[in-house]
Amino acid sequence: MIQLRSVTKKYKNSYALKNVNLDILSGEFVFIVGSSGAGKSTLMKLLYKEETPSSGTVMIGGINIANLPSDKVPNLRRCMGIVFQDYKLLQNQTVYDNIAYVIRTLGISSKEINARVLGALKVVGLSDKMQAKPSELSGGEQQRVSIARAIVNGPPLLIADEPTGNLDPKNSLEVMQILDQINQRGITVIISTHDNAMVDYFRKRVITLDKGEVVRDIQAGTYEQ
Amino acid sequence: MNNSKQQIKKKVKKHIPKDWLLELRIVYRIVMETFNDIKRTGIVNLVIITTMAAILTIFGALFRTTLSVSAFAHELGNVLEISVYLKPGADANAVTKRIKKIEHVQKVKIIPKESSWSDLKRGIDIPDIENPLPDTLHVKIDKPQNINEVFGKIKSLSVVADMSYAQELAKKIQFLNQVVNTTTVFVVIIVAILSITIINNTIQLVIQSRKDEIEIMRLMGVSNWYIKIPLIMQGALYGFMGAVVALIPLNIVQNMLTNVHKFFMIPNPLFASNIVIITIFFVGILFGAGGSFLSIKKHLQV
Repeated sequence: MIQLRSVTKKYKNSYALKNVNLDILSGEFVFIVGSSGAGKSTLMKLLYKEETPSSGTVMIGGINIANLPSDKVPNLRRCMGIVFQDYKLLQNQTVYDNIAYVIRTLGISSKEINARVLGALKVVGLSDKMQAKPSELSGGEQQRVSIARAIVNGPPLLIADEPTGNLDPKNSLEVMQILDQINQRGITVIISTHDNAMVDYFRKRVITLDKGEVVRDIQAGTYEQ
Repeated sequence: MNNSKQQIKKKVKKHIPKDWLLELRIVYRIVMETFNDIKRTGIVNLVIITTMAAILTIFGALFRTTLSVSAFAHELGNVLEISVYLKPGADANAVTKRIKKIEHVQKVKIIPKESSWSDLKRGIDIPDIENPLPDTLHVKIDKPQNINEVFGKIKSLSVVADMSYAQELAKKIQFLNQVVNTTTVFVVIIVAILSITIINNTIQLVIQSRKDEIEIMRLMGVSNWYIKIPLIMQGALYGFMGAVVALIPLNIVQNMLTNVHKFFMIPNPLFASNIVIITIFFVGILFGAGGSFLSIKKHLQV
């Protein structure tokens, strides 16, 4: 599903990623780990085309998105769900509207939108909070809303950049369990994190980055080994 | 390779049932988005619409005045005539035929010397002497600026003794026409700059206040045009609303000018009111949308 070949990302005088080669298959659950500045976020940004590699190819579903014209980027992003550390919710809109926002822009009927949003809310266990504003929810709940928004369009791929970075261990576990459930439905899940407890708990594929290079890639691995 | 891809795309499309309401829903949601944006801009809306109305009123009033001045100039130009005094014994009818062939000549009227003499005697007390006046021709020209050319051509005819026309008046009318036209061009430029600047700054404020929201929309894969079109429509709506408000003071200006036309018995220019109304709506919407578009280009990175 995803192939990175000789990907290098260089900022003025430093390398964020250096000659990265990766293959992620459809339906996999992958942790990208590493210390701060290791290049995790840059790698995630390359996947949703927020950044463009200095060299190399980033193939998603057979398309090299490194060459994707800017007007096609929204199409790419609608084919994937993205979850951020700071949730990125529209504060003046309800939970329901936050989740429905993107699919509304596609011209889908209100009936269909309603069915999809209720389905996504059910997956994250927030059916009773659909009329609440994000400010009325806990951090864990806000992250769950953001996950519901990410899956509402039924994407084959979900990218989560430090999804538990702002959460306590209990909420972190809940969020990770939801992401695991989503993966079990066949959606490819890629999570960047430095939450070693979660990585150790779930025992999934772990790709470790250090100074922009892949130094370890282990199936059913832990944070350290 | 490309052909086979396109064929696959066509086949896939064939099997997807077409939802004809899809585009309509998108348009409806964009319109609703625009109204939401305007609602969120709050009291600032009133300031922008009032300012746009003031600019469009000034423009509309000047534009309407231009139409009236042009009508006056045209009317005065029509009454301008060249008086041609013929030499004794000249055949007035033959000369008339020759003059009618000259370009820009609209009409030639023969005033026989007998008629001129009796008119003169009726006005002032003249002793009973032999008629000293020549046959006269009154030559009407299509436009004031063509008088000099026609004047020269008639003067070259051998049967013409003397000629005269209101040269100063013709020049003044021509000058007034030029001044009014130049002023209109300047006003259009000033209106364009002012309205584009105002809308540009407003939309810039809207973009800044919604920076986070736009960023989220962008990251979630909302189309660029879905983000941009409501902002362009917001600018266009300010222009439209400004034009609606400007109709009130413009109506007063239109009435005043109509009265002036009535007083001087010069007909109102045809469809003047409609032309002015259509123009201020067109200018308001065009410059409103244009200002918004420029702001988006400069400040919105999508």
